Amino acid sequence: MKMIENSADLSNAPLPTDSTLRQRKNFFFQIFRFVALNIRMVKMIMKGNH
Amino acid sequence: MSKIVILGAGISGHTAALHLRRKLSKKHEVIVVTPNSKWNWIPSNIWVGVGKMTTDQVTFALAPIYKRKGITLYQGLATEIHPEGDAENSNAYISLTYTSPEKNGQVEKVEYDYLINATGPKLNFAATPGLGPDGHTVSVCTPSHAIEAAEKLSDVIAKMKSGIKQRIVVGVGHGTCTCEGAAFEYAFNVEHEIREAGVRDLAEIVYLTNEFELGDFGVGGMTFAQRGFETNSKLWTESLFRERGVSAILESHVEKIEPGVIHYEQLDGIKRTLEFDFAMLLPPFRGADIKAFNKAGEDISSTMFAPSGFMKVDADYTPKEFSEWLASDWPSTYQTPSYPNIFAVGIAFAPPHQISKPRKSAVGTLIAPSPPRTGMPSGVMGKTAALTIIDRIKKGASAVNHEASMANMGAACVASAGSGLSQGSAAAMTMYPVVPDYQRFPSSGRSTKDTYGELGLAGHWIKFMLHYLFIYKAKARPLWFLIPE
Repeated sequence: MKMIENSADLSNAPLPTDSTLRQRKNFFFQIFRFVALNIRMVKMIMKGNH
Repeated sequence: MSKIVILGAGISGHTAALHLRRKLSKKHEVIVVTPNSKWNWIPSNIWVGVGKMTTDQVTFALAPIYKRKGITLYQGLATEIHPEGDAENSNAYISLTYTSPEKNGQVEKVEYDYLINATGPKLNFAATPGLGPDGHTVSVCTPSHAIEAAEKLSDVIAKMKSGIKQRIVVGVGHGTCTCEGAAFEYAFNVEHEIREAGVRDLAEIVYLTNEFELGDFGVGGMTFAQRGFETNSKLWTESLFRERGVSAILESHVEKIEPGVIHYEQLDGIKRTLEFDFAMLLPPFRGADIKAFNKAGEDISSTMFAPSGFMKVDADYTPKEFSEWLASDWPSTYQTPSYPNIFAVGIAFAPPHQISKPRKSAVGTLIAPSPPRTGMPSGVMGKTAALTIIDRIKKGASAVNHEASMANMGAACVASAGSGLSQGSAAAMTMYPVVPDYQRFPSSGRSTKDTYGELGLAGHWIKFMLHYLFIYKAKARPLWFLIPE
């Protein structure tokens, strides 16, 4: 199979650290983020007055 | 007594029908015309497309819900609008062709006092030769398409398990496609499935898109304020691609697809090819095939519809340069200019221009993501048109129109990137407003406080919660109306 031509250069994209990756899966931290994200979404909906 | 006809039972049409029925007495008739017998929560088709959900989990039959609520259902395809009636009868009506097994092919006229066009898109696979389930690629636009995608994905995973390397391409199948967020989501669900199957090292995953840069999502990208800095969706999305080892080909217009080979052109005007073993490419959208006629029977479709087939509403359609585009160009009432009793909502309305900057290749090919207007904005528009009609019926023709411009509306986009309540992940994004308003927010067009992105398990839980919440709402279960659009 031919190599891909012209794919985007992602070599400078920041990689998450191990602690960031752990945080993304940490159950207790994610419960906190779940609540925070829901509040953020409700506030955004209210702002649009819908 | 008023008759309100709604064309389409997707998110916007179904939302409008439920609100109209809830707020109008039974002497008024609410009629829904839809070619499909089932309602589909389209965002979850992504999970059907990787075999994590069945079609029964993302659809339900409309007839029992409408019977319970007192909504009349015509299972058929609307083909004509006669807003002035015809030579014999001055009552406005639509024509439909039945798609139900009992009356398949029969034609009927349905009169209306108010009409909401919420037909959604026509999936325009024909715009790219070889695209789609009748060609050489798969799609996740409908539950049946998603089932086929899951089966073919399962086949390539089986080949990898026997040691054969496979190239998987996910993206959009034309330079003017929209819904890049859905393609992004499917790409990372596929990546997750392949990793779970233990064959990630044998898969080359490529995201093929018309976006100028990663993180554009057809909305010109987003600027976030995080940890004291302004960052953007480009950086954030590129990070995810690098972390998961997914390649990206940007600025592309897919020209044609042959078995195992995608032919595409990029902004530099050079035509390239990409071989594949599995490809899920979304089609471009156009408006439904509906014609409009005046009282004399003359075709007025070009007056009511844009060349794309989407219906013109209260937007400013004056052709302008990108630098002159304004948030106020976007419609707010969704009422058609010629007929105040006709509205077009959701994907059915013609946007005045793109949100993401349109570009042309060196040889003049348009490569421009179309503006997304699915999901949350669709539901809000459906409700807005319904509330205007309700007020006109109750208060008279002078009632003030309700407004909900996409330039004053936020949206949440949760793109799952793997499943499982403990192992899942998602990119959760909010943006306000959807259409950038550089007069209100000079730096990025959006509020950096309300525009936000985050990766993690919590986003996956939200996506899961929204799946059940919106199906509950669409089934019009008790207190459904308390769930916002």
